Amino acid sequence: MSTINLRIRRQDNPDSQPYWQAFSIPAAADHNVVSVLLALRDNPVTTSGERVAPVIWDHNCMEEVCGSCAMLINGVPRPACSALIDSLIQPIRLEPMPKFPVVRDLLVDRSCMDASLRRVKAWIEIDGAWDTGLGAPRIAPVAWSANYLYSRCMSCGVCLSACPQFGSHSDFIGAAPLAQVRLMNAHPTGRYDKTERLHAIMGAGGLSDCGNAQNCVRVCPKGIPLTTAIGELGRQTTLQALQDLFGESTPSL
Amino acid sequence: MRIANPHLLLRRLHSLFGLLPVGAFLVFHLWENSQSRFGAAHYNGEVVAVLQRLNYLPVLEIVVIALPLLFHAGYGLVILSQMRAEPRRYRYLRNWLYVMQRVSGIGILLFLILHVGMTRIESIWRVTVREDLFGHMQHLLTQPWIFTVYVVGLLLSVLHLANGMATLGIVWGLTTSAYAQRLFGSVCALFGLLLVAIGIHGLLGFLS
Repeated sequence: MSTINLRIRRQDNPDSQPYWQAFSIPAAADHNVVSVLLALRDNPVTTSGERVAPVIWDHNCMEEVCGSCAMLINGVPRPACSALIDSLIQPIRLEPMPKFPVVRDLLVDRSCMDASLRRVKAWIEIDGAWDTGLGAPRIAPVAWSANYLYSRCMSCGVCLSACPQFGSHSDFIGAAPLAQVRLMNAHPTGRYDKTERLHAIMGAGGLSDCGNAQNCVRVCPKGIPLTTAIGELGRQTTLQALQDLFGESTPSL
Repeated sequence: MRIANPHLLLRRLHSLFGLLPVGAFLVFHLWENSQSRFGAAHYNGEVVAVLQRLNYLPVLEIVVIALPLLFHAGYGLVILSQMRAEPRRYRYLRNWLYVMQRVSGIGILLFLILHVGMTRIESIWRVTVREDLFGHMQHLLTQPWIFTVYVVGLLLSVLHLANGMATLGIVWGLTTSAYAQRLFGSVCALFGLLLVAIGIHGLLGFLS
């Protein structure tokens, strides 16, 4: 194929109506969706010959670690930089990530994910009245490699856009922030705040709003075992609820 | 630490009630009615009569069956509003089961209104339903549309229970790894097939 054909859903501002435009650019080897959009930016002319405003989208790292370029590509949410043109059916349909407010064209506002991470305390507290860190924490290699999987989350939001329980209609925080609770709770220092994180996800919009459709784990570009995190948090919250109801067991450590 | 937020407990109660007592009652109910195979005299005289002789039966029926079922159904309808399913975009088994769990919930509710209405409720004012339940069921099930409705109601109920058990395992943290979730899902599917077999066996028993 000598050209790359695109159909892009445009939207001029957050409140305006979306519309579609078709573009065609010369084919070149090793293109991905971001590099195609970069090439299109040089000469933003539609297939009907009209020169239009360049397409706006978010991108940064180009190696699938920053998560910023995720969009709906041929109906599937995924990072644009790792979507190779040769593997896509043309014309390639590009749409902004569903469930997130559109800022312009393919650029969406994913700040709700930051709010969710703040809500579940997805960090490790190292400031205290004494040295909380206790030096380099020791951890079994098996636990480390399990934790590592969750540390690869780049907050791209793909798992959320595929989740039938997530969206403006619901306050469910979705799989990505929940997986970070799983990660932080397993950290040798992070576990000190485990109860606080569990209580945060035991409220409305938390863990129990998951409907177990498990689309998240299927679409996650980093292959993060999100549904395992949800199962493990199910166990942690079960034990936490028992402790809340019947009293604490003797603290270990 | 006091319970600051009842949200999780409500959800877990909804989950638990689906299994106990509602799911357990479904298993008992299908087993009980599979004995229609032994004929009208045995079914009316040995199976139904024994249950009808239970002391405090109406209290048990209301507290152990009706109220947990109503809570499970009512809270389920509230949760339903959170669904924005895209079964055509995400064609995965678990996603379809997610949709079916909610669709079947509504189907079961409609079926139960009909089913309980034309059996337990009707028996309150019609003595013949109480005295010859076999004959009453035979009269109902020989009508093709009622038989079809019962088969659909059975399939939806068993799907809802079997899939509910599989997700209950994840919700409570019994199954965490993908392997465990798949394995337990298969166990639940086999359990469901067994229940369907028992249920169909019982329905056919009324026709003989």
